[in-house]
Amino acid sequence: MIALRHSLMEPTNLEHSGKGKHVQRNAVSKRKWKKGVKGWLAALPFVLPGLILVGLFVLYPMLFTIRISLSNYRIVQGQIDFVGLKNYINILTDASGRFWYAYRNNFLYALVTVPLILFGGMVFAYLINNLKRGRTMFKVGFYLPVITSWVIVSLVFTYMFNNSDRGLINYILVDKLHILNDYVPWLLREWSGNAAIWLMGAWKNIGWAMLIFLAALQSIPRDLYEAADLDGAGIWGKFRHITIACLKPTAYYVLVNMIIGSFNVFIQVMLLTEGNPNGRTSVLQYLLYDKAFGQFQFGEASAIGLISAVTIVILTTLLNRMLKLDTVEKGGADA
Amino acid sequence: MKRNLRGKKAGDTIAQVVIWTILAVSLIIFSVPFLFMITNSFEQFSFVLPYPPKLIPTQLDFSAYKYVLSQPFFPTAVKNSVINTSITVVLSVFISTLSAYGFARIEFPGRETLFKIYLFTLMVPSFLNIIPQFIILKGIHIPGTDMNLIGTRAGLILVYVATNVCGHTFFLRNFFRGLPDALSESVIVDGGGHGAIFFKVMLPLSKPAIGTMSIFALQGFWEEYFTAKVLVGANESMMTLPLLLQRLHGQYATRWEWVFAASILALIPVVTLFILFQKKMVIGGLTQGSVKE
Repeated sequence: MIALRHSLMEPTNLEHSGKGKHVQRNAVSKRKWKKGVKGWLAALPFVLPGLILVGLFVLYPMLFTIRISLSNYRIVQGQIDFVGLKNYINILTDASGRFWYAYRNNFLYALVTVPLILFGGMVFAYLINNLKRGRTMFKVGFYLPVITSWVIVSLVFTYMFNNSDRGLINYILVDKLHILNDYVPWLLREWSGNAAIWLMGAWKNIGWAMLIFLAALQSIPRDLYEAADLDGAGIWGKFRHITIACLKPTAYYVLVNMIIGSFNVFIQVMLLTEGNPNGRTSVLQYLLYDKAFGQFQFGEASAIGLISAVTIVILTTLLNRMLKLDTVEKGGADA
Repeated sequence: MKRNLRGKKAGDTIAQVVIWTILAVSLIIFSVPFLFMITNSFEQFSFVLPYPPKLIPTQLDFSAYKYVLSQPFFPTAVKNSVINTSITVVLSVFISTLSAYGFARIEFPGRETLFKIYLFTLMVPSFLNIIPQFIILKGIHIPGTDMNLIGTRAGLILVYVATNVCGHTFFLRNFFRGLPDALSESVIVDGGGHGAIFFKVMLPLSKPAIGTMSIFALQGFWEEYFTAKVLVGANESMMTLPLLLQRLHGQYATRWEWVFAASILALIPVVTLFILFQKKMVIGGLTQGSVKE
């Protein structure tokens, strides 16, 4: 704030000097410019390698994707013809409604798995943190699904959800527990297929949230609890006012990461259901993959990618704003 | 007073037992897919899947492992995965560490804007860029040949490194900002510049953070499937472990023991690494500053 006022005052000082005003202003901007060049020269050796790579393989592709999404792009001929919003219209109005099912499924995936991951991760972290013995065993155990590749876990789940009595799930539910009368072709139906995808997503990511929450729990200063003890706070009071309060930023981090992750779902769909029946279990990334590398419709594929990117940016911005409002209010109350 | 203490101790023990039981039961349920995988890797499948499905191993038959290890494509996949992952991790961590230092400690015009752009790219799904990346690699010709970078290790690694610079820079910048200024000032007093500060102060101090990031990065690249499938999927000599697993599954629909044995072999290195280093990892830094941006 002080710096800001200072810089605001500078021009008025210059005006007093009358004649020399123009010269001095020039000198100031020249000095500023020189300082800027100096800063860039110092920073370049550090920033440049990353900048080149990001520019070439991340930023330029993003702009290029926008162009492809507005074009009829034939990769073999290298031809790219502008077609306006045709690709977008094609996707959104496709008679099979594949895009809308995929879009819906991404949201459902987030809606179902994110709360499970947040809650599960927090509970396991809290329990492990209060453990005196065996912490490492549980930490590694719950983290194991996170390290295991999506390809591997998808293959295991495909077998477990096999549609005959050879699959573990059918065997347990029908032959052992007699909860169901008939074997269910889990991965061939809309809702059971989606449920299998959700279950796997939650199972695989809970350990990640657990690890992050555990680190956050361990960084809460002990004095806070001791001070609360002196004030006569109970276990519940301490949990609510210290533990939960300190975990808030971490929870937000996990939340945002998992929501972004929900729009990156791909391998599990490809290996578990291939979007069957009729794209009812599909997601945007699988649709994009199929459009681009199955049907060579790069324009439509890019349009799908952009729609999902815009969705994520809007979602994260909204979340950010909601959280910022929260902190601003608190800051105001304190002052 | 004494009785009170003893009562508290007994209460503690009961609490510990309860917590332990809850965690143990949860972990057993959590482990079902792994148990299933391990058990079936010791089986001998034929053209039909066995009934009933087994969850607990009844035999230790290693023939599936022997089969997988004897296949010519397995060493190729292991070799590729090891080379790709290690080169990628080293390059991406080194380049990101440099960038992070630039953004954390050197003032230059447009720094905040540029950093915001980096942050923005983190929100955009990575697969969005795969088509242009493919086209760019196709356009880069290897000098002296009529080949381009599609289907090559160099192309894959370039894309891997580039797509991870932003995230890693973000993580390390926060860490560098948290380090005290006094140390770098002492280097400046001795007449050292940014290079000296970077190599003599920042790198040694941020070893735990860089190590943690490297392990996470390594896990990610080791299991990466999508980019590899698109960029080198057509070239068999560039096959990686995730691509191999998927292909094993596709070719032999009922030979699950081979798929699972190969999966377990692919898992061993990353799991070992995590167990070895989990106590040294600094995960707290990962979330710091992520909210305030």
